Amino acid sequence: MKLQDVDVAVIGGGPAGIAAAIKARETGAQNVVILERAEKMGGLLYQCIHNGFGLFYFNEDLTGPEYAHRFVEKAMDTGVKGLPETMVTGISPERQITAVSKGEGYLSFRPASIVLAMGCREKSRGALGIPGTRPAGIFTAGTAQRFVNVEGFIPGKRIVILGSGDIGMIMARRLTLEGAEVAAVVEMLPYIGGLIRNEVQCLHDFDIPLLLEHTITRIHGEQRIEAVTVARVDDSKRPIAGTERRIECDTLLLSAGLIPENELSLMAGVELDAATGGPTVDETRQTSISGIFAGGNVVHVHDLVDNVSWESELAGESAARSAMGGKGAQGKIKLKAGRNIRYIVPQTISGQNKVTLYMRVNDMEEGVRLKIGNIMSKGLRVVKPSEMLKVELAPEQLEKLKEGTSEIIVDCERRERK
Amino acid sequence: MAAKEKLICVGCPMGCLVTLTISSNKEVAGITDNKCKQGEKYVLEEYQNPVRTLTATVLTRGSLQPLLSVKTARPIPKTKSLPGAIALAGLKVRPPVKAGDVVISNLAGTGVDVVATGNLLS
Repeated sequence: MKLQDVDVAVIGGGPAGIAAAIKARETGAQNVVILERAEKMGGLLYQCIHNGFGLFYFNEDLTGPEYAHRFVEKAMDTGVKGLPETMVTGISPERQITAVSKGEGYLSFRPASIVLAMGCREKSRGALGIPGTRPAGIFTAGTAQRFVNVEGFIPGKRIVILGSGDIGMIMARRLTLEGAEVAAVVEMLPYIGGLIRNEVQCLHDFDIPLLLEHTITRIHGEQRIEAVTVARVDDSKRPIAGTERRIECDTLLLSAGLIPENELSLMAGVELDAATGGPTVDETRQTSISGIFAGGNVVHVHDLVDNVSWESELAGESAARSAMGGKGAQGKIKLKAGRNIRYIVPQTISGQNKVTLYMRVNDMEEGVRLKIGNIMSKGLRVVKPSEMLKVELAPEQLEKLKEGTSEIIVDCERRERK
Repeated sequence: MAAKEKLICVGCPMGCLVTLTISSNKEVAGITDNKCKQGEKYVLEEYQNPVRTLTATVLTRGSLQPLLSVKTARPIPKTKSLPGAIALAGLKVRPPVKAGDVVISNLAGTGVDVVATGNLLS
């Protein structure tokens, strides 16, 4: 077995991994490799044929393949080495990587730094626990997206979608345009799980019924799914007896959330945050293990790829600096989620450098004030779990921190209306 | 007689349900229930000329890749999305195609071209 010394090894060649690798090269790392299990770089962007990508990063409205293409080209121009059809099977705490490659067999790497960029995966039926028979015809929305947009077949003719995440709503439109009928999009919460733009442009534009505060209580069918039972839910999300009705369908798509994919992180001994499902990171995106960094959806699930690219560039830059012998962030101030805050990334900051905080709330609220300890306060008209909050802390705001501060509490407080 | 029309603004997460007052000659006489100025601009455009970029795939011939992803070069009227998708369903393209190449012009009478968003190799 060949042990290859590289400066930076990036695990995953989706938008996060490519952005990290480019930045690592630009920062000065000589030997940067991306290990990607699929046959080409670009990740899920190639199946996201819709537009709305790059509005912030490129100031242009691009489709997924176009956004991916720009990064793939740039990676080649900057001398990133991409190894497709190479699946990482293990990472040790000493940063030794083992992988299997279609072309080269068993591989082993000992990089000076690693960037984790494995992305996320969809919640499956098992994770949702819907009772009933176990027929064919139940897919995650992303699987259906691959069938329709890449492989060229349609999963069914009459479709019910559970969950109103962005991929689910986008697939509702896509399947309608391809001639299928979307019988309903069923959402347990009183509001959609994805972006408002998608509710209007994917559901309203095509008169697709949206059942808010409803869930699926049973799946019917032996060989193939034939119908689902939907019911209204009460305030504690329990189905209300007597509100059940049957909706005939031949396909059920699940769009009920994404989970960061961290099996490899756990093998390496990287500490995970229970709220994000991803590694706890400092402001440089270094994980709990020195020399192992992380960026993109493996850290926390983003709404926009633009933010994935930016965050991963930060991880790639830090990984390169670390590989070249640089020191990481000094001092750790913990950011603690307070009222109506689900999580904050990064979980720790140094308090010395300008930093962007990404946050999500637990519940939708109108008229709130976001407070970062006593160093920053900002009024917001509305917050929703589906829309990530992004706040930049400037050096002059961080100067307000008292010497020896070890924790900052972030609260989303109710604002009194004047 | 003035009619009322309601539109959801997609400018921000707020998603205001904005009310437009439409005069008898189909002109927008008033906009209310929007919480900001941008909302006014959005609903005015969305009422007068709602447009969307249509994205789709087309079948291929002579390539291992079964589909090629495409989009309208400019947004088209919202009502043309479905006729546009139907027109694209009948199309087959042969390699080589590069991102940005026109695969069909004047989609469904819109005067707008459809361009590839990916490459198609043989």
